[in-house]
Amino acid sequence: MIEFQNVVKRFPDGFTAVKGLDLKVRDGEITVFIGPSGCGKTTSMRMVNRLLSISEGKILVEGRDNRDFPAEELRRKIGYAIQQIGLFPHFTVLDNIAVVPRMLGWDETRIRKRVDELLDLVGLDPDINRDKYPRQLSGGQQQRVGVARALGADPPIMLMDEPFGAIDPITREVLQEEFLQIQEEISKTIIFVTHDIDEAIKMGDRIAILKDGALVQYDTPDTILAHPKDRFVRDFVGADRALKRLGLIRVQDLMDEEVIPKVQIRDDVDKARRVIDEHGVKSAFVVDDENILKGWVDVDGIRHSPRSLTEAMMEADFNEIGVRKGNTAREALSAMVARGFRITPVVDRRGKLVGSITLRALQDLVEQDWGEDEPQPEAS
Amino acid sequence: MNRIAALGGLIATLGFFFVPVINLKPNRLASGTGFGLLELTGDGRYFVLFALALVPLVLAFRDDLESRGWLLSVSGSALFLLTLILPAQAGVMLLENPEPFLGEGAFIRSPRILPSGGLALGLLGAYVTLFAGGRDLARAGVQSWVRGVTAWAAPAIAALLLVGGQFDVYSILVEFYANGAALQQKFVEHLLFVFISLAVGFVVGVSLGLWASRDERVSPVILYAVGIIQTIPSLALFGVLLVPLARLGDRLFLETLAFFGIAVVVAVVIGGTYYFLADREPARLRFVHLLATAVSAAVPLVLFVGIFVSFVFRLANVGFTSGNYGAASNTVGVFFVLTLVVWLGGRWLLKPDTRARLISTWASLALLAGTLVSTVVLFVQASGSSRILGRVDSLETLTIRDLGVSGIGVAPALIALTLYSLLPLVRNTYAGLNNVDNAIIDSGRGMGMTPTQRFFQIELPLAFPVIMAGVRNAGVALVGIGTVATVIGAGGLGDFVIQGIVNTSIDQILLGAIPAIALALVLDAALRGIEGLLTSPGIKQVQN
Repeated sequence: MIEFQNVVKRFPDGFTAVKGLDLKVRDGEITVFIGPSGCGKTTSMRMVNRLLSISEGKILVEGRDNRDFPAEELRRKIGYAIQQIGLFPHFTVLDNIAVVPRMLGWDETRIRKRVDELLDLVGLDPDINRDKYPRQLSGGQQQRVGVARALGADPPIMLMDEPFGAIDPITREVLQEEFLQIQEEISKTIIFVTHDIDEAIKMGDRIAILKDGALVQYDTPDTILAHPKDRFVRDFVGADRALKRLGLIRVQDLMDEEVIPKVQIRDDVDKARRVIDEHGVKSAFVVDDENILKGWVDVDGIRHSPRSLTEAMMEADFNEIGVRKGNTAREALSAMVARGFRITPVVDRRGKLVGSITLRALQDLVEQDWGEDEPQPEAS
Repeated sequence: MNRIAALGGLIATLGFFFVPVINLKPNRLASGTGFGLLELTGDGRYFVLFALALVPLVLAFRDDLESRGWLLSVSGSALFLLTLILPAQAGVMLLENPEPFLGEGAFIRSPRILPSGGLALGLLGAYVTLFAGGRDLARAGVQSWVRGVTAWAAPAIAALLLVGGQFDVYSILVEFYANGAALQQKFVEHLLFVFISLAVGFVVGVSLGLWASRDERVSPVILYAVGIIQTIPSLALFGVLLVPLARLGDRLFLETLAFFGIAVVVAVVIGGTYYFLADREPARLRFVHLLATAVSAAVPLVLFVGIFVSFVFRLANVGFTSGNYGAASNTVGVFFVLTLVVWLGGRWLLKPDTRARLISTWASLALLAGTLVSTVVLFVQASGSSRILGRVDSLETLTIRDLGVSGIGVAPALIALTLYSLLPLVRNTYAGLNNVDNAIIDSGRGMGMTPTQRFFQIELPLAFPVIMAGVRNAGVALVGIGTVATVIGAGGLGDFVIQGIVNTSIDQILLGAIPAIALALVLDAALRGIEGLLTSPGIKQVQN
């Protein structure tokens, strides 16, 4: 655990970058430090491994004042990854990742094993990449090596300063996803500095919003989006915070597995009409014998060809109209808006219909958490 | 069309037409008579040269890259060799019967054949043609080693012919044979004072560069100071050093030793208070204190290095040039070469982290120890020579001059050359270390590297190519400036040059200049080689 106790940082020129920071970083979680430039987020992070000295207060690392350790020893126990990556250009990938293990005196066989393990973990083939030099790698690959290097000696704590900041948006998304998966496996205690609120919401188990060297709000992303503490936080998270919240919630948490307006492809048109009426919706999903989603049928279709269901239905690929359990509520909303549905089918990998999600459910979610002091978002 | 080839042909043709290829002189000093190729055409084979010079002009209009490349390479090589050989043969004939050309009754004691401008233009044309051919072959996709062999075949054959005595008629070789032993000694002297001042300059310059890169308050002072030194004309710098060094030479050894001791104590006191007062001084005073520490440390250091280096030079010079210690000096050479071969070969050919590599590393370390031991043996042997200390009765009467420091001689040369080497060394060390990306250093710090580890594992390897470029710069410059050192009696290859100027004898000037040029080129290539082997492939410049 890392604990900031009334930490103050004053620079020699008199500028006070951090003004009495009190904060507990929980074990095994990603804690994001975020705020506008000059808010003290990087300064706070750099005091943890004593790249900057602490002017007042103290920082506990695993229960001990971090000034009790010799600085180098402390830093070797804390993984460190930065935006500019900072790989050593004259070292091979192997040598880069081996820097901390070598300083800790590991034997070479153990180091080699560890390096291969880490390269696998970050999705680089060890046999191809081990002996390459950084300049032979793409930006994304370099950043992967940067992460592997920070994990080199399996430190319990990691400090990451905008580690995906210098990478193109597409690769950044991929790396963020990958890193979250890696974190599932390794459960490190991580302080993650960024200025990108979307990245913070995506990566953080908890977000600490800083302003002018002071902590403004420290909560889970969901709480911060639902209950921003003041105007500054509300502005900082942005006007679309309702949508951002939906981005945090998975379809599986909102979907209805029992009430699904569906008809078999061999059923007749009357059955379809009944199902639509029963559910009070405008359309029903059409599935085959194996419950695979084949398309949908709506009132207009039935009016046009009242004889045959196969003629009345709209055929569609399940990937086109369905969402998956793992998708975010935001993606489900996007699918509904795009097709004008009030309900969207949830399918599994093979196209089996497993549930449905309604526009109502999304609205309810946003409304129920909305604070009373908040203006209601324009209802559509 | 290959315009470069056409240019090569044109240069050679015009050279052969309008400029004398050889010059017949009645003796070493007198000016002689020039002979163009046209005047030598009494014998049909000189037409071959004309024809060869025209070949590239014709070939330039061919279209097929590969065949054009090969033909140009072959004709260029032939032109190169025949431009050297045929005038030499003509020279032999002229020497057999010089009187008709030099005039009846001319003072002919030892007539000489001087290679002249036409010959140089012929060689230049041949070189340009070879270059043009090589370019064609490269564009046609011929492998680089094949091109290398093709380009160097003619110069290699020429070198063999030179050793075989084919060109002995040329006056420069006559001069060489007449002065062989002296040349060897001057060459060693030159080599020694370049090496020794480069080594001392390296230590001092890299330290200063390091200091400048660590403390931005002193960096302008240091860079400005070494820049100023560079602007002093070399002749003036030698001259300025004459008086103080002559004075220093007069001092008794024991007296100087006492002064040295006092200077050390003063430096320790000033530096010690600087160290212990730490940050309790006001910033401005502290900076002054720092400079005072540097100056007080520099006094005994300069004194020690100056005297020690002059003495080492004397030892080495006596050791390497007097015949008495041939066995020891040969052993040093053999050990040195073996060390380089084993070490570089090991790094080149053997895979890292293997047993063989480990053995080669240990072997080269052992050989290095052998080099050092044999050097010590050589120095001990040489120190017994009367040339080292002269006539010294006792320690009380031993003066600094007896150790090799005097106003005239090698001491001012060593000091001046060391000073001249500082600018490139300091500047490149400073630039190299300063240009290391901060993010790289920051991540090293963040990973828990100590300052020492950061310096040796990150900063030094990354700055290394830049520092080595400075060493090469300094080395090549010192070989050149070293020739001027002759005017203060330091010896070296400049002796021949200055004699040549006094005697208006081009042969003598060349006798000093050619080995100096060769030394500069070899030194540059050797340093480049070391740089290449020691630089990580991760940061080498991409070769085109």
